[in-house]
Amino acid sequence: MTHPLNHNAAQNDDVVHPEPEDDEQEDEDAEEENDDDDDVLPNLRAPPSPASKLQQQRFKVETLARRLSSEMVPIRVHDIVVNGNTKTKDWVIEAELKGIETATTMQDLMRACEAAIARLQALEIFDSCKVRLEPGPKELPNTANVVVDVVEANNTVSGECGVYTKPSTSSWTLECALKYKNLFGYGDIWDTSLAYGGSQATELSLGVYAPLIKRLLTPIVARIMLVSQDWQEFSSYKEQLLGASLGLISTKHHDLVYTLGWRTLTDPSQTSSRSIRRQLGHGLLSSLKYIFKMDRRNSPIRPTRGYAFLSTTHLGGLSPDHRSLRFLRQEFDVRLAVPFGFYNTALNLGISAGAVFPWGQGFMNKTSPLPERFYLGGDFSPVCTLGGPTTLWGFKTRGLGPTEPRRQSRNRDDDNNGDSPGWDFIGGDLAVTAFADLSFDLPIKWLREHGIHGHVFAGSGNAAKLTQHEYKHFSPRKFLESFRTSVGCGIVIPTRLFRLEGNYFHILRKDEHDRGKTGFRFSFSAPS
Amino acid sequence: MAENEINTLVVRKPCFGLPTGCTQCLSAYLYLKFAQLPFQLDFHLNYPDSDQIPYFEVGDYVAYNNEKGGVTECLKRDFGVVDLDIGISSLPDWISTKAMLTTWLADALAYELWVGFEGYSSSPAYTIYYSDLPWPLGKVLFWRKARWIKQKHGITNENAELKKEEIYRRASSAYGALSTWLGEQSYLFENRPSSLDATFLAHGLVVLQALPESSVLQPKLLEHGNLVRYVQQCKTELIDASPTPTYAWHTAGSSSTSSRSTSSSKTKTKTKSKPKREKTEEEKTFKRRSKYFVAAQLVAVVVFITIMTSFDDAEVGLDE
Repeated sequence: MTHPLNHNAAQNDDVVHPEPEDDEQEDEDAEEENDDDDDVLPNLRAPPSPASKLQQQRFKVETLARRLSSEMVPIRVHDIVVNGNTKTKDWVIEAELKGIETATTMQDLMRACEAAIARLQALEIFDSCKVRLEPGPKELPNTANVVVDVVEANNTVSGECGVYTKPSTSSWTLECALKYKNLFGYGDIWDTSLAYGGSQATELSLGVYAPLIKRLLTPIVARIMLVSQDWQEFSSYKEQLLGASLGLISTKHHDLVYTLGWRTLTDPSQTSSRSIRRQLGHGLLSSLKYIFKMDRRNSPIRPTRGYAFLSTTHLGGLSPDHRSLRFLRQEFDVRLAVPFGFYNTALNLGISAGAVFPWGQGFMNKTSPLPERFYLGGDFSPVCTLGGPTTLWGFKTRGLGPTEPRRQSRNRDDDNNGDSPGWDFIGGDLAVTAFADLSFDLPIKWLREHGIHGHVFAGSGNAAKLTQHEYKHFSPRKFLESFRTSVGCGIVIPTRLFRLEGNYFHILRKDEHDRGKTGFRFSFSAPS
Repeated sequence: MAENEINTLVVRKPCFGLPTGCTQCLSAYLYLKFAQLPFQLDFHLNYPDSDQIPYFEVGDYVAYNNEKGGVTECLKRDFGVVDLDIGISSLPDWISTKAMLTTWLADALAYELWVGFEGYSSSPAYTIYYSDLPWPLGKVLFWRKARWIKQKHGITNENAELKKEEIYRRASSAYGALSTWLGEQSYLFENRPSSLDATFLAHGLVVLQALPESSVLQPKLLEHGNLVRYVQQCKTELIDASPTPTYAWHTAGSSSTSSRSTSSSKTKTKTKSKPKREKTEEEKTFKRRSKYFVAAQLVAVVVFITIMTSFDDAEVGLDE
């Protein structure tokens, strides 16, 4: 094990050894410089004892550590060597080592090496990644060679299982995936997944994640999927989508995804209302979805300070065929968390708004596609669900908004059945939700230590239909007057993965057909 | 009268000079014309493989074509539309004529539309069923229907010609029999319109108007002058004449939905607020309570695991 400074130490009396670090950190080697002395006068001195060697090494490491903590130790990287990759392409690994070449001090080099190890491990294709520093050529003082030792994963097949939340559909999904790693040596990960969730949603998909394709700035994520969703209970239709999606840009703040799919809406029960009935059938979805997200809150589960902003633009109809589904959907979501400085109290405020409308020839007479409309309601907390107007405390999935009566039967047998056929929630073209949540620590120490806190909240929301000349009957005043409102209080148990709330809701205002009820309910929310 | 209360027959695309190019939809249209029931047309253009179309709406009541003998039977039974088949549906020749129309002639037209033409866009089926769908969707649905027809008739590459001859021979025989039966009458049975007249006239109109000159089926119908006159007379009287008694005539305004505006979002007058049976209420309460119980158990387990895990982490931290 060598250290770059030891060669130069032969020329000056200051020999330093790096302090041993973790295996996960860079391995720094130190060699005995006394070997030179031994060569010159081999007969005059006995070989050093192990204890003496250990003492010298410790001295060198301590000296190095002192030097590193007190001054910037200049260094230059001469060469980077990658060992251990038999399948993975060299340039895939080298692309993750950015920052090492340009390091000018030992401290920078160590930080760059730590970051490189983290990036290599994030590829999920290596069993271990180690970075060693070795001295550079003797004729080039203050240089080092960086040696990257990787061990490619033996088991290229792995399985995963998890539970995720989908705020857009107000449901949870259980997802099991089988992954095959590094098939072509580009760090590519292929996966087949099967997901099952609320509203009898099922998804079967095949995807590939390629972190690096030459000349492309961001990873490529592509999926082929078959998704089916059952909205029979709420809106009397089932949705099926067979298609493919391609992630074009995926960074911390920006996401751009293209989706091409064949969407089919059916109603096996044949009970749908008029506007649902007219939308049953086939459609071609060719759309681009851009998400800009900035979340500066200190915690996604229990935010107590900071702000967040989300904008989602979804443009459908990107095909030369004018018969594809053409729509433009825009959502905004703004959050603010204000700390009060006592009992960890914080006020969370949020407002979300969204609109969808068709475009193209004759768009004034067209209606917006059913699955793209806004459906409000669901057992999710709006505090940690960042994704446009989706939910309101106290209302069930698709529990508020425009409704239409379902089909009634004129069969004499059905007349004896006293049950009303029910109402379909047909979604809105315009939706607005807002909430205020005041969270505070509870007086019991054990609860405080585990982050369990209380909150009182108020929420409000509304959705309205605008397309097909309904905008002529729309007035902002009527829209505001018909806002549904709920208040409540409860206990929040934040865990590492999700936020559990036990709340008591009181519905202050709802419409006749809304599905919201005053009472006690649990809700699970995962940050999004 | 509220817009929702207007009798509406929802059919497939109007084309080839006909109010709708689909024979089943046209048959329902002609029956309502014969019955002199005022109605308007609306169009459902993006669901070519649905067996629900045509359907008849009035208010929140709907009669689908795949229910209880078809939309015509539903109209007669549930909507009070006059039964034009009274007194003749029990005649011996009624069943055989109906079988001939709904099997031999219907199969021949379906074969011609989906299998008889080279290429997807050269078939009139494209215009009638798929022209409002994007190309890949229409193409796949067309291919799927063609495959279904071939499977239905047991058509393979080896027996394709034989099957084709058999299908067209039966159609010829059916035309001959109908021509003989009709003679110089104005209608098939007792010189008054019936549902079978609507069925045959719909078939005849599509064969004469929609099929091109290269069609195999069209010349076979043209051989029988009285049938052609019968069809032309129907077209003149029921389709080309001024549209009475219908409320309105709407054309397709979009590729996927009708041009009529949908009902308002909060229609409260249609609610039937009948009291629920106590038994159903108890069952719902029981189901709700059982869901709460299961959820509470699950929550307790999750919280226990999470808190105990965090306890262990804290202990490990202290040890370090």
